[in-house]
Formats: sequence, structure tokens, C-alpha cells
Amino acid sequence: MTPEHSGKAEESPRQRLLSAGTPMCAGCGGLQALHQIYDQVGEKTVFVNAAGCMTLLSIYPYTPFRGSWLYTAMACAPAGAQGVRDALDVLLSKGHIDAGQDQLPVVLTGDGSAYGMGLSATSAAIDRGLDFLYICYDNEGYGNTGHQYSAATPAGARTATSRVDGYTGVKKDLFAIWSAHRPAYVATVIGTEPADLARKVKKALSLRGPRLLLVLAPCPTGWGFEPSRMVEIGKLAVESGIWPLKEYSDGQVRHTRVPAKRAPLEAYLGLQGRFRHMFVPRRNEEQLAALQRQVDDYWEHID
Amino acid sequence: MYRIRFHGRGGQGIKTASRILGTALFIEGFEVQDAPRYGAERRGAPIFAYVRADTHPIHERGVIHRPDLVVVADETLLAISPAQVLEGVTDSCVVLIYSAKPEAWWRQQLPDIAQIVVLVPLESLSVAIPVGALCAGAAAALLGKVSAEALAHAVEEELSAHDAAMVESNRKAILAAYMEVTPWRGLVCSSLPLGVAQTPPPVWVNVPHDAVDIGAPVIHAGATSGLVKTGLWRTRRPVIDRERCRRCLQCCAWCPEGGILAGADGWPVIDYEHCKGCLVCAAQCPFQAIGVIPETQAEGGADAQTADRK
Ligand SMILES: Cc1ncc(C[n+]2csc(CCOP(=O)(O)OP(=O)(O)O)c2C)c(N)n1
Ligand code: SF4
Ligand code: SF4
Ligand code: SF4
Ligand SMILES: [Mg+2]
Repeated sequence: MTPEHSGKAEESPRQRLLSAGTPMCAGCGGLQALHQIYDQVGEKTVFVNAAGCMTLLSIYPYTPFRGSWLYTAMACAPAGAQGVRDALDVLLSKGHIDAGQDQLPVVLTGDGSAYGMGLSATSAAIDRGLDFLYICYDNEGYGNTGHQYSAATPAGARTATSRVDGYTGVKKDLFAIWSAHRPAYVATVIGTEPADLARKVKKALSLRGPRLLLVLAPCPTGWGFEPSRMVEIGKLAVESGIWPLKEYSDGQVRHTRVPAKRAPLEAYLGLQGRFRHMFVPRRNEEQLAALQRQVDDYWEHID
Repeated sequence: MYRIRFHGRGGQGIKTASRILGTALFIEGFEVQDAPRYGAERRGAPIFAYVRADTHPIHERGVIHRPDLVVVADETLLAISPAQVLEGVTDSCVVLIYSAKPEAWWRQQLPDIAQIVVLVPLESLSVAIPVGALCAGAAAALLGKVSAEALAHAVEEELSAHDAAMVESNRKAILAAYMEVTPWRGLVCSSLPLGVAQTPPPVWVNVPHDAVDIGAPVIHAGATSGLVKTGLWRTRRPVIDRERCRRCLQCCAWCPEGGILAGADGWPVIDYEHCKGCLVCAAQCPFQAIGVIPETQAEGGADAQTADRK
């Protein structure tokens, strides 16, 4: 008996489509966003999940998904999605399933795959015009293995492999890399802006071809904050301007939310253990100013 | 050989506790193993870590099934049978519990446990110190083989990535916990290493060879994870106050677990079988209608935690 068929759940009409009972951390921002996305993409999907925190969603014999799910190695989730698409096309062409039974391949990976190990397979899948949706939950590090830095780690953030002065690189611009391929759709979202997220998921689902939802995923464990502050931190990421909400389609980039007055970046950084070294034992004015300047420079060119 | 098992929840510094104690024993000249038990569970979930220390090379491997000292950093775990906190505890084993409740109360609750020591939360601490760290300090004293100097060195070594103020506050707190249990210094006795003869062979289950479509880990039903009661992770419980709640249902959207359902009558209903106690809902409710109580004070309801206690 699946939970939705147990007597208890029937009294609760508005249950989320993705089931509870997963091993994600309490306060996981990625899971909060995935609930919203799954409500919209629904169960006629084949999730292709590269190794990362979210591969633990499905651990035999438990899964929160109502539709299909498949595990792949970190570098090859888009190739897995290609295989799923091809298999479905064969079934369709042989008449084993009809169009109403078709499914959408959905790649689900962390930033470690999306920005790094899986980038080559992603690029090739976009080149082939694969009809799929890619969801990257970006927690800005290799969360599942103890939060080492990834190509998505922001400058200055402490991780398990940048333990003292923080990450010396800069966060790779995956939105620009995807857009440069001229795919059907690219959007940045965050679970703490549900209306913006819902509109973008709807838009993505109305199109065909390669589509990316790049989700900033506040991560209490890796970023060092109390789980209860997850939503507050997500909102500050947008209000400070460090996580611009935007979308790409038809060769155009549009910002979907331009903060009228940006919150100081410090307000966002100061709540997270990974940036604590910039504030104590003494404020690193130079670094804080440089990071603020980067955000200001970005928005200077945006109308 | 000393075998020590630390039990706590993800986020309480249990892994660091085992490292601090392991390093302190190493500084004192012991051969040491220390390891966290990794699982799929995360912050808030029951976890454990363990340390072995001996004056001879250690040949035992894996999880400790016959501990000499069990450290309970989170007392709520004692009520949760899957956490297996008391597994393998014999009369010669000491159980250290971090708790504000007196030892006499625990003796009543756990009449089969021969040796109980309670580490009371230290009021004097001005900054929040992970519970695991305090337990490492107390455990070091109970073993009676670790000097305060070695312990202080171990703390500095294990926390070297953090700023000086943080290392100092942890060092002070850990030494305070070490002093706190001085009356029981050396209470834990070492026990002999287990030879092959004393080690029970693993229980083998012979599974007949199945065809791959049934033998492979394929899940055929959807949404089975609802059967996993993540409500057991919770140490604090959000409680909706209907006097204040305006039924805006924002909390349903913010809950990372999908753990607040909208009831037919429009009231939000918290699914305590799955709520992990992140308290995002309480922080975000625009009408401050969600209060927070310690799980230990929760009135019995039909949820995973209370069901498991019964
Ligand atoms: C090729 C390869 N290298 C390393 C690993 C080990 N590994 C498993 S999950 C993980 C982290 C993945 O990071 P990310 O994609 O950002 O996902 P997150 O864990 O943050 O959710 C790593 C390094 C692996 N599975 N495969
Ligand atoms: S480590 Fe971060 S991303 Fe991974 S489950 Fe925990 S909160 Fe979520
Ligand atoms: S957010 Fe607060 S007021 Fe709104 S439904 Fe939830 S508990 Fe009630
Ligand atoms: S504390 Fe609130 S937000 Fe967190 S899991 Fe429980 S019900 Fe959901
Ligand atoms: Mg990641």
C-alpha cells in the first residue's frame, strides 16, 4: 500500500506529489524547490539523477517519486536522458506505447555535475537538441561528500577543501554557458520565490528541446546556518542581487526580478558560517568591498 | 582495549567528538581507530561514531558491538529503538548521558543499565558549543587515561581550521566538561580484545539466485518513502496555535519536507510522522502562529516519535 492510499492521507486532500520521508537534511533548500517543481512536472517523467545528495532520495525500497527514476554516474546524466528518450521513441514508433503514455526525461543533478563533471555530456546533449529538462540544484559545493568546493562555489566561501581563507576561484557562469548553446530555455530560480519559479517551470514545460532550471539551493549543512533560516537566506540571495533571477529564450536574456533597492551583500554573507572568516576575528573590508563591487558591476549593465 | 561509541544527531558534532577523543588518546601513546558511521541520513538524523584505543595494535574492525563506554549526546535517542543506542551494553559498560535530568531519574528509566553517569548541561558557557564536543571532554575523563593537556592539544589540532576565538571557547568548554565528571575519573575499564573465537560469525542469509528483473534493486511502487518516519529526527516540535493562525497556508509552501498539509477545512496540519523539525515554518509564519517546544515535552499524539516510545 502506498501512502496516498492509506486511510490517513485521504483526510488531507492537498498532499504534495513528491512524498515525504526522504533522507535530505532538515531545512534543505534544494528539496524545498524540488517539491514545487515536481508538483508541476508530475509523474509522467523519468528522472535521471547523477550522484549527489539527491541520489539518496531513492534508496531501495523507498522512493518519494511517483514516476520513474534512474541513477547514473556524475558525468553522464544527460547521456542517460538521451538513452531514455531513444528508448521511449522506439516504444512509440513500434506502437508499444501511445503518445499519451510518453514521458519527459528530467535530469536532476547537483552543481558538481552540472558545472563540472557533467558539462561535456550536457553540451553534447544540447548540440543534439535532446528534448529534456535539466534541473540543477546548486548548493555551491560537493554536498554529499562533505562540501568540498566545486566550480559553482562563490569566491571566498569556506569549504572542506578551502578551509582557511575560502575559495580562491570564482563561481562559473553556467547560465551563460547554457545560453551560448542557444537551447530552448534557461532560467535561474530559487525555491524561496515560488511565484517566479512556478511561472518558469510552466514556461519550460511549454517548450521542447534542451531546457535548464538552475536552482540556487540554500544548504544549512554546507553553508553553515541554522536550518530554520533557510528561507530568510534564500530571499536575501535574491534581494542582495547575488542570485539574479533571469531567463533565456529565443536568443534573449530577461531579468524577471530586478530588486529596486538591493540589500547589502553583507546581510547575506553574515548569516552563513562559510563566510564567517570575513567578519571575525576582524572584518576583511577589502574582500567584502570586492565582493559587493562584483554584484554592483553585474547590475550596472542591467536595465 | 577501550571501545567507545558516541550517539547523537547529525549536526551535533558527533564525528568531531570521536576525532577529538581519538586524537587525545593518540597523543597519550595509544593505538587508535576513530570513525563515524556514514549512512544516508543527514542533519537531525540519529548517527554514531566510534573510537577504539589500545596499547597494542588493534585488529578489530568495523562497528563496535561490545562497548566499554556509550556516550549519549542526545537523550531523545534513548527512546528510539532503531538508533540502537544501548546495543551490546553489559554491566561493565558505562553509559554517559548528556541531560538536565538527574541521575536518579535515569536509573529509574533504565533499570537494566548498571553504570550511568549524567553530564549536566554547563550553565557557565557563554557561547553555544556543540554537544558532541562536551561529551568528548567528559568521555576523556571517564577513561582516566587522558590528561587535560593532551585533551587541550587534541582540541586545537582538530579545530585548527577555525578562528582562534572559536578554538578557545571550545577548549574551555571541553575542559570544563572534563572537570565536571572528575568524581568518576577512570570509571571505564578496558576489556580484552576479542579473538576470532569470541567473535560471533556473521549471520548469512542465503538468497537464491533470482532473474535480474526481480533480483535487481528496482522499486515498482511509487512514493514509498512515506513509510520512512523522518519525524524521529526531530528534537524540537513546531506547534500551530489556532488562535493566531489565519490559514494563509504560507507554511505549506515553505516546508522543505512537504510536511504541512492543507486540511479540507483550510487549516494547516503538520505531519509529525515526517516533520524533521527544521523550524522553517515557525521562522516564516507571518503571524507568529507556530510555536516551538522541545520534543521531550510533546504530548503523546499519533506520530512516529511517541509511537516508538510506547
Ligand atoms: C566520478 C565521480 N567522482 C566522485 C564521486 C563521489 N561523489 C559522489 S556525490 C559527490 C558530490 C556531488 O556534488 P554535487 O553534484 O554538487 O551534488 P551535491 O552532493 O552537492 O548534492 C561526489 C564527489 C562520484 N560519485 N563519481
Ligand atoms: S547537504 Fe545541503 S543540499 Fe545536501 S541534503 Fe543537506 S541541506 Fe540538502
Ligand atoms: S503560515 Fe502561520 S498563519 Fe499561515 S497557515 Fe501557516 S501557521 Fe497559519
Ligand atoms: S519544522 Fe515546519 S517546516 Fe520544518 S519539517 Fe517540520 S513542519 Fe516542515
Ligand atoms: Mg552541490
